Amino acid sequence: MTFANLLFYVFAAILVFAAIRVITASNPVHAVLHLVLAFFTAGGLWMLLRAEFLAIALVLVYVGAVMVLFLFVIMMLDINIERMRERFWSNLPFGLVVGGLLIAEMSLVLTARYFDLDAMPEAAEPPAGHSNTKELGRLIYTQYAYPFELAAVILLVAIIAAIALTHRVRPGNKRLDPARQIAVKRKDRVRILSMPAEKD
Amino acid sequence: MNSIMPNLYPASAEIFVLIMACVVLIVDLYCGKKLPGIAFVLTQATLVFGGVIVWLTADAHVALTFSKMFIDDLFGDFMKIAILATMAIAMTYGRSYLDDRGLNKGEFYLLALFATLGMMVIVSANHLLVLYIGLELMSLSLYAMVALRRDDAAASEAAMKYFVLGALASGFLLYGMSMIYGATGTLQIDEIARQLAYHAANKTVLLFGLVFVIAGLAFKVGVVPFHMWVPDVYQGAPTAVTLIVGSAPKLAAFVMAIRLLVGGMFLVNEYWQLALLLMASFSIVLGNLTAIAQRNVKRMLAYSTISHMGFMLLALASGVIDGASVADLRFSVLNAYSAALFYTVTYVLMSLAAFGTLILLSRAGFDAEMLDDLKGLSRRSPWFAAVMLITMFSMAGVPFFVGFFAKFSVLEALIQADRIGVAVFAVLMSLIGAYYYLRVVKLMYFDEPVDSTPLVAPTGLRVMLSVNGVVIALAGIAPNSLMSICALALGYSL
Amino acid sequence: MDMLTLCIGIVLAPLAGSAVAGLFCRVIPRWLAHSVTILGVAIALAFSMLVYQRVGAGETMNVNLYQWAVSGALEFNVGFLIDRLSVLMMLVVTSVSLMVHIYTIGYMAHDPGYNRFFSYISLFTFAMLMLVMSNNFVQLFFGWEAVGLVSYLLIGFWHTRPSAVYANLKAFLVNRVGDFGFLLGIGLLAAFAGSLDYVEVFARAPELAKMVEPATGWPLITAICIGLFVGAMGKSAQIPLHVWLPDSMEGPTPISALIHAATMVTAGIFMVARMSPLFELSETALSFVLVIGATTALLMGFLGIVQTDIKRVVAYSTLSQLGYMTVALGVSAYSAAIFHLMTHAFFKALLFLGAGSVIIGMHHDQDMRNMGGLWRYMPITWITSLIGTLALTGTPFFAGFYSKDTIIEAAHLSSLPGAEYAYFCVLLGVFVTAFYSFRMYFMVFHGTERFDRSGDHAHHSDEGEHHGLAPGEEPEESPWTVWLPLLVLAVPSVVIGYFTIEPILFESWFGSAIHVGQAHDVLSLVAREFRGAREMGSHGLFSLPFGLMLCGMLLAWLLYIVRPRWPAYIAKVFRPVHGLLMNKYFFDRFNEIVFAGGARVLGHIFWRGGDRLVIDGLLVNGGARLVGWIAHASRLLQSGRIYQYAFAMILGLLFFLTLLSPRV
Repeated sequence: MTFANLLFYVFAAILVFAAIRVITASNPVHAVLHLVLAFFTAGGLWMLLRAEFLAIALVLVYVGAVMVLFLFVIMMLDINIERMRERFWSNLPFGLVVGGLLIAEMSLVLTARYFDLDAMPEAAEPPAGHSNTKELGRLIYTQYAYPFELAAVILLVAIIAAIALTHRVRPGNKRLDPARQIAVKRKDRVRILSMPAEKD
Repeated sequence: MNSIMPNLYPASAEIFVLIMACVVLIVDLYCGKKLPGIAFVLTQATLVFGGVIVWLTADAHVALTFSKMFIDDLFGDFMKIAILATMAIAMTYGRSYLDDRGLNKGEFYLLALFATLGMMVIVSANHLLVLYIGLELMSLSLYAMVALRRDDAAASEAAMKYFVLGALASGFLLYGMSMIYGATGTLQIDEIARQLAYHAANKTVLLFGLVFVIAGLAFKVGVVPFHMWVPDVYQGAPTAVTLIVGSAPKLAAFVMAIRLLVGGMFLVNEYWQLALLLMASFSIVLGNLTAIAQRNVKRMLAYSTISHMGFMLLALASGVIDGASVADLRFSVLNAYSAALFYTVTYVLMSLAAFGTLILLSRAGFDAEMLDDLKGLSRRSPWFAAVMLITMFSMAGVPFFVGFFAKFSVLEALIQADRIGVAVFAVLMSLIGAYYYLRVVKLMYFDEPVDSTPLVAPTGLRVMLSVNGVVIALAGIAPNSLMSICALALGYSL
Repeated sequence: MDMLTLCIGIVLAPLAGSAVAGLFCRVIPRWLAHSVTILGVAIALAFSMLVYQRVGAGETMNVNLYQWAVSGALEFNVGFLIDRLSVLMMLVVTSVSLMVHIYTIGYMAHDPGYNRFFSYISLFTFAMLMLVMSNNFVQLFFGWEAVGLVSYLLIGFWHTRPSAVYANLKAFLVNRVGDFGFLLGIGLLAAFAGSLDYVEVFARAPELAKMVEPATGWPLITAICIGLFVGAMGKSAQIPLHVWLPDSMEGPTPISALIHAATMVTAGIFMVARMSPLFELSETALSFVLVIGATTALLMGFLGIVQTDIKRVVAYSTLSQLGYMTVALGVSAYSAAIFHLMTHAFFKALLFLGAGSVIIGMHHDQDMRNMGGLWRYMPITWITSLIGTLALTGTPFFAGFYSKDTIIEAAHLSSLPGAEYAYFCVLLGVFVTAFYSFRMYFMVFHGTERFDRSGDHAHHSDEGEHHGLAPGEEPEESPWTVWLPLLVLAVPSVVIGYFTIEPILFESWFGSAIHVGQAHDVLSLVAREFRGAREMGSHGLFSLPFGLMLCGMLLAWLLYIVRPRWPAYIAKVFRPVHGLLMNKYFFDRFNEIVFAGGARVLGHIFWRGGDRLVIDGLLVNGGARLVGWIAHASRLLQSGRIYQYAFAMILGLLFFLTLLSPRV
């Protein structure tokens, strides 16, 4: 067993453990932290596969941005996780059976006998100065330009949808409108009355 | 490392729709307040001109572009025109409904345009990745549209279910695609077919992936056992959105099935045919029987959709005769698939009319969705009762309405494939199904109206609904025109 | 314009007129409804004449316009076959229809359903034209059913009258019996000839003649022809499926003229003539046709003698004349049948419209016993009715003479089994025809005036509306829209036979449209004795049929003008015979008891045993329980809980994985 293989098994074990903890942890903050752990180890796995860019992106985007946001949300909302999980335990045995079956079938198919891992050639050693990031960029902007553009459109839709679903103008909103502020005229604000002097 | 500029001509319609979506976004932002109808007008113009562009750029020649990820053929062009037309009709129907409920905002039209773009991408996809992205584009827009009425608990719940289950189905699909990639070493659909034909691909892994892909597909089509979202979403979404969810995406899902299963994996057809046949049979039983018990028209139509899609899958699963000569095989395959296409197109026409009638009956502060709301329609509006009558008869498959010919051609395909037992079963089930369609007719014609408020609907809706009804009636009188168009469109691509 | 455009115009013009008048019947004024429909039919007539010119010059057309549906190798098309047979029918249909349209303006002037009525008759014209112009069995059947439908609607036009509703129901049911045979025939053709196109079927006819029906062992061609003819029996009202036609007189009179005399009822005759290449191959079927026709011709004539309702007399005479046409078909004299169809269309429409005019004059009293001496008050109606009567009875030189005499002669010369019987029937029929026709003529137009004393027994008590003339009131001539069609129709009733007999019958004018086998060609035998129309007419003055006709006329004159008390006396003496005739040979009673009663008994049995036990108990209630159960189960599944839905999806996935994986 090479060192790389050893590393793989370590990462894999931690990953599986973290993933299980994500769905079993009773405290949502713990669950999120385990998810962060899972992402980290997955990043490590990708690193072993020489996918440096993906590994770093995973850590930066998911751990750095998404998970932090997630934590904020969970900490701000007061979620009673136990109440949501009432049925979790009652459905668990059946779910376990089905999940077990599914895993069994998948592993039957995906073990070496059918998948022919041996037949897959070992990936060639990349030449010196090979940049994974550069390769990815080249492909994305040439061959995969079309799906890449479409993915951008999906992001746009996500923005639109998010704004449409959450943005609301409240009646008592005290938003400033600079254009109106500038356009304001004296006579709009101040009314000068000439009052006759009062005599007593 | 030079890259060649891809040929953009075949994708002109998609590019146009995308540009116009951005234009609508900006125009609505700046002029939306001053010109409240601008988003609607621009959207309709986009859909119409998009259709015109597809029409103008259509030719019998099959063009591949964007590194062979994009395919432009006659079948695709036909489906794109059908999708654009369906969306345009749905927009026309939905406008007043949305207006009354304060939903007539730029966002709705934007999302509709992006959903249309997603469907067009699906239609032209020659690559699993593109197919998946198109599907996500369409689905994401649809999820958001369902949720658009955010103060309504039912709508939010429906959107949530649709979203979560849709994500699960997308997961299935993506996983299946990765398995197919593992087995064939490619994501390009025609390349998959070539790999299967000339290289011994790893069949176990392939089939494994196939099941996941079919599951994802079945979710989009809405057949048993991946149908659970359909009734809840149909009922919970605003009717104008249900109209969209229930019409154009079915066309896109049909193309997806043809491209993936027929175009990519025809050589393993005996496997996917079996799966489709089972799903179809379950759907026909469950859809028809459960629809009978519904009191809510939208829910009833949801179950009717399930059974109709099952019927359509029956044809899709009947494309082969064993031991036939190559020419015969092509003929019978074409026959079965064009029957399925014809069924889908007529189904979309009918469901547009059915939901259109519901919108017609709704008004500000009132959603017509119970069966009782249809009572006595013939007295309130004889003409639109007649339109609904035609639609219901057609859905039930009463002879000499277009739905009958659609069912007939599916049954013919079944018999050609020697599945007489299934054909008899399908006929029996659609007889049972006829009950709930005819009940609607009975309510409209023989019951006293529950509310006798005069119908308030804008002219656009009235005209379009009338045209829709007349088209259904005409298609029943002369079904062969549409049938031969379907056969022609498919014939150039298979 | 080319022929196809013309043909499309012919069909669509009446349809468009009908659509305008029908769809907007509540909106548009009366003048618009009748002008638009009359315009449509006039266009159809004008175009038919243009087509006639072309076809006369030897052009024919057989074109499939639109493929309606395909089922395997079987094609369902919409198409036209235009040859001399169809063009003749087109001319007859459009011209009579036009006259009836004009006549209706006057006849229905005060009816609330005016616009609807025009829509119906134009729709009928469209359907009838589709029927005669068809080039395949599908369209033929479509036209067949469509004319039947319109006829059903029109018989029950005054749907508030119970008798009208009864009559249209009867027409509908009896025609279904005929249609059953018709469909059977078409089905056999589709199954064994593998096509529904006339030309293709006829091309395969010789092969069909050699086949037998596998299930029963009957000769296939005979089964097909008899099936088709049963259809014709229903539509053309041959014994025993004739019972609906007399009752159909409940409809307005223009309908009786157009549908139940001139055109629709002759559809059966036309159809058999069109199918001549098939019928020629089966002598059994021809004999069957012959015997049915002859029986109808004679027996229905007898019934005309005892009727007192003016329209019913004409109705029975129509039945009898249809019998003549059927006899002509049976002896393979198809051209003679079509020839008689044409002359009959004109003089019978004339007689019906004349009767209608009388009815208007009598303020909707139809009882001949209340008429008499009308010639003084309604001169135009009187003269035109006399012309119609003379044509009907076969007076030499009138139209009816040429066609009828040819049929009698053809029956005489035929050697088919049953031909002697047919000859006897049609010969005796001449006497009977003359008797009842002149009986009607004398009762209505001559003798003592009975309307001024009829006052109270004239109106039908069950309707509540007043019919008949008030005491002291005198009938007067109808408006011009009514008498103009009479005059126009009187012309062909006199001359059309004289001018067309030679080309139609003896110069093979129909060409290939009608096929007659060598062995059956009686018309060529008749042709040998034919020396021209004038010769035939003057020779007819000394022939046996003319003698019989004179006898009938004199007898009518004697009984109804000279000795008006005798008929009642005779009826008393021959009470059983009179009773038999009054009860129409008990056909109705028989049907009522055996078919309707039997059906009710059977229905009751099925209801008890089948419906309540099996269907209600097992299927419906059981089905409902099953449906309820499934609905309940699926409602359990449809819990609304997201994770259960997701779970179901995963289960489904697992199911399909397990299903497909071991199959590798």
